Amino acid sequence: MKNKLSLSVFEIVGNLLCVASSDGEKVFDRLDAALKEGQSVTLSFRNVTTLTSAFLNAAIGQLYGKFSEEKIRSLLNVQDMEQDDMALLKRVVETAKQYFKDPQKFDQAVRETLQSDNKDDGA
Amino acid sequence: MRFTLPAINHNQAGFQALIHLWAQGKDCFLDDIDIDMGSTTWLDADMCAAFGAILYYLSERLNTVKLTNIRHEVESILSKNGFLSNYGREKIPDRWGTTIPYQRFDVKDDRYFAGYIENRLMQRSEIPPMSAGLQKKFRESIFEMFSNAVLHSQTKMGIFSCGQFFPKRNRLDFSVVDLGIGIRRNVKENVGLDLAPEEAIKWATEGSHTTKRGQIPGGLGLKLLSEFIDLNGGRIQIVSDAGYWMLEKSRIIIARLRWSFPGTAVSVEINTADTQSYLLSSELSETDIF
Repeated sequence: MKNKLSLSVFEIVGNLLCVASSDGEKVFDRLDAALKEGQSVTLSFRNVTTLTSAFLNAAIGQLYGKFSEEKIRSLLNVQDMEQDDMALLKRVVETAKQYFKDPQKFDQAVRETLQSDNKDDGA
Repeated sequence: MRFTLPAINHNQAGFQALIHLWAQGKDCFLDDIDIDMGSTTWLDADMCAAFGAILYYLSERLNTVKLTNIRHEVESILSKNGFLSNYGREKIPDRWGTTIPYQRFDVKDDRYFAGYIENRLMQRSEIPPMSAGLQKKFRESIFEMFSNAVLHSQTKMGIFSCGQFFPKRNRLDFSVVDLGIGIRRNVKENVGLDLAPEEAIKWATEGSHTTKRGQIPGGLGLKLLSEFIDLNGGRIQIVSDAGYWMLEKSRIIIARLRWSFPGTAVSVEINTADTQSYLLSSELSETDIF
């Protein structure tokens, strides 16, 4: 096994605009295969100019449905990201953790927010 | 069927008028649909996305759609942005380069859409230079709009977009419209909440709410878009089913429309003179993410 596997998002997607969920799936497939093997991965965003939450949800967010937070934290790291892209990825990761932690609880939280919104609105 | 189309502005009344056309024509089949545009004294160009989506639906039902009595100034706008090319007119050159062409995409056309945005919007010399931060945020927002339609609409009839730049007003209008199942039905089927149409839009733009189910999480697209537009000082309008939602200057307005739109329209106004850096107040480290 390699000490560290380097993956280039630009190379996998073949485009500097990483915006489509379907392109994110291509990155996910590689990460999924590597993490299943217990392989450490560095994911480089060099030459990527534009990211969306849809792309990152597919590429990285869905990892939280298959692997533990600990495993992801220990095996995956990213590099060559601009600050605002990192902030977007962080939001995607936090949402994914919530989403997969307990889907029923997630729905419940959503319902409670809605009820409290309705109260605030006087509904 | 004959329908008289009034002026179509980029606002609630404009959407309502287009939806009225939809309500009148939706049951027509193998019919002639004449849209009299003699009273259409103005048509905001980005509203071509919603107008075109409705006409596409009517054509899908094998109706013959004709646009008649188009006033010269409106015909000029709709010819420059390529809208009238769908209805038998020639496209005319856009001398000032302020139109972002009307275009229909399939849900699998994400690369094609990306090319359209880069070539017809971001890389155009006529669009005044925006700050690097604004340009990046703007580009991301446009792609969030398209992704949102791809991921949630379940449309088989496509996604429609169109825009217009107003140099003197430092404003850029852009709309993305789908003929999908709409937000209210999405929330009902996937989350089990039976909300009024306008409440369903409000729900979808708040907190960590998502109608996504399955292995790929979601629920950020419309929020990111709204946050950016609010910071930018622009305006965002969403129409879905009979719901209308608008955010401007941190104020939300919701309303119930008289008829239902057969999908979802997301329309933004961007303040192109915005000079904010969009830099984050605190630095994030690569080790802080997971």
